[in-house]
Amino acid sequence: MTIAIALQLLISGLSVGSIYALVALALVIPFKASGILNFAQGEFVTVGAYSALVLTAFGLPYWIVLPSTISIGLIIGLVIERAIIRRIMSAPEFTLVIATFAIGLIIKSAIRLYWQDNLFAIENPLPFKTFKFSGIVINPQYLWVIGCTTTLVCCLAWFFKCSPMGKAMRAVSQSQDGARLMGIHVERVLMTSWGISTAIGALGGILLAPIIGINPEIGGLILKALVAAVIGGFTSLPGAFVGGLLLGLLETYSGAFFGSTLKNLIPFVMLVVFLLVKPYGLFGKAPLVRI
Amino acid sequence: MQLTRLQVLMVSTVVVCSIAAPWVLPTYYLYLLNLVLINIILALGLNILTGNSGQISLCHSSFMAIAAYAYTILNNDLHWPILLCAITAVGLASLGGALVGYPARRLGGIYLALATLAFLSLTQILIEEFPDITGGIRGLKIEKATFLGISTSSESLRFYVVAVACAFSLYVTINILRFPLGRAFDAIRTSPQAAQSLGIPVARIKLLAFTISAAYAGLAGVLFAMVVGFIDPVEFGVGASLRYITFIVVGGLGSIAGSIIGSIIFTLLPEGLRGVKEYSDLVYAVILLLSLVFLPNGLISLYQKLVPNKKIAKSN
Repeated sequence: MTIAIALQLLISGLSVGSIYALVALALVIPFKASGILNFAQGEFVTVGAYSALVLTAFGLPYWIVLPSTISIGLIIGLVIERAIIRRIMSAPEFTLVIATFAIGLIIKSAIRLYWQDNLFAIENPLPFKTFKFSGIVINPQYLWVIGCTTTLVCCLAWFFKCSPMGKAMRAVSQSQDGARLMGIHVERVLMTSWGISTAIGALGGILLAPIIGINPEIGGLILKALVAAVIGGFTSLPGAFVGGLLLGLLETYSGAFFGSTLKNLIPFVMLVVFLLVKPYGLFGKAPLVRI
Repeated sequence: MQLTRLQVLMVSTVVVCSIAAPWVLPTYYLYLLNLVLINIILALGLNILTGNSGQISLCHSSFMAIAAYAYTILNNDLHWPILLCAITAVGLASLGGALVGYPARRLGGIYLALATLAFLSLTQILIEEFPDITGGIRGLKIEKATFLGISTSSESLRFYVVAVACAFSLYVTINILRFPLGRAFDAIRTSPQAAQSLGIPVARIKLLAFTISAAYAGLAGVLFAMVVGFIDPVEFGVGASLRYITFIVVGGLGSIAGSIIGSIIFTLLPEGLRGVKEYSDLVYAVILLLSLVFLPNGLISLYQKLVPNKKIAKSN
């Protein structure tokens, strides 16, 4: 019985952790390429959820809604990078942090103006119902989330290892000047990195929507994703994935054993502990600063 | 401080106006004026930290919350004398500042932003999770007390207290920035390494910047609780922190006049937009973004461009 409960928690922890990992990955990719941390990332998750809502309302099937939501995320990311971020790329870090925060607030309040604070739901996209497997109740939604995230991580791993654009992105993250000298179009690479990250955010939104419902506050998720990214050490993609899963599991288990107060507190306690003890996370390296 | 004749004239006009204000202005405008002054105090503090020392803080609304709640609880439950409540509350807020400043000694840039964001969320959760003490999301009402034999429900008393506090903060800020401490703040923003090599204890100065700045926010929090008479956690969320940052970014980073201009504009702007209240967050964020992209040095830089600084002209 206790093993069944533990397994049950493992599945729900992994699925929550997968969402954190997705958004954490979306945070880390443009950060690695351009050194900009996108505090508006949570709002791209919201955008994904709402575009899924709108497209579903048109009566489109899930297999059309999913790719079109992702492309909406992609396009929004590209536009924002081109219109705003590129203009302030060389500004001090403070400006960038506040600017991305402001972008997030604009998106959130625009969504709130149109849809108010209502909670919407979209239907479960999967044909299966919750089923029981040797004493464990399994929600196929959770498996779908875990599956999607794993697939995405594999795709990303391939992308960064083998594809020309992925290689260019790695080169840009090492040295923008060096990459430029090798004939890499740095601006295009940075724009792509933003596009990919917002597309991943939108994917997170559509995966999350049937599980927790849609309202303008979904973007608050970014706090957890930030914690996951810090645990993984901000510059490491595998780190972000591991950090997300770790945080999801820790939250689920502590919530089950010690109640919801501790569950809410745990991410921030982890964040503070990591920032104090190991500020560059499990997988990250301290940057060298040339004076 | 050596004042020019123009400055003496301006200061005395402001003093006369503020003495007359409670008798001349209607209640609502007096209330607005109070809010403007409170925001000026907060913006001055934030500008010392962000504009002068170059540290990001997304948790100034939490420092304000700590002081506002401490003041309210001491006043409502323990019935301490009001001045003692206020001093304790400001002390607690600056303790919070030191708590954030401690890890901040080693962190820079986004990591600092994250740490302050975590502090903000932590404060919010603690307020919401202990409704027996803090009233939770329903908020707390501040009970009346007496100060110098006058009830705090008296509007003119409240205005004078706020005005004196604001004037005091302004005076302290001007002096801090002229002291070696203020120069050290500017030095650690421009280059921590260079500052360190000149013998400035960078870590200690950062900690001090956080503590001082949080004390300003605490003072603003106490006055806010006193003037508004009701506090709840929503008032002190991320949105509020971003609003305060808007004050100083649009006004002008690292400039006292900038803090004042920014606070005045952005406290009165929502009143101008009262017909379209639900747009106010959107308007704030759009103005902030536009100002970051097109006017990175704030409104004050327009003035400085129009009126070249006489002192620089003379020394040249």
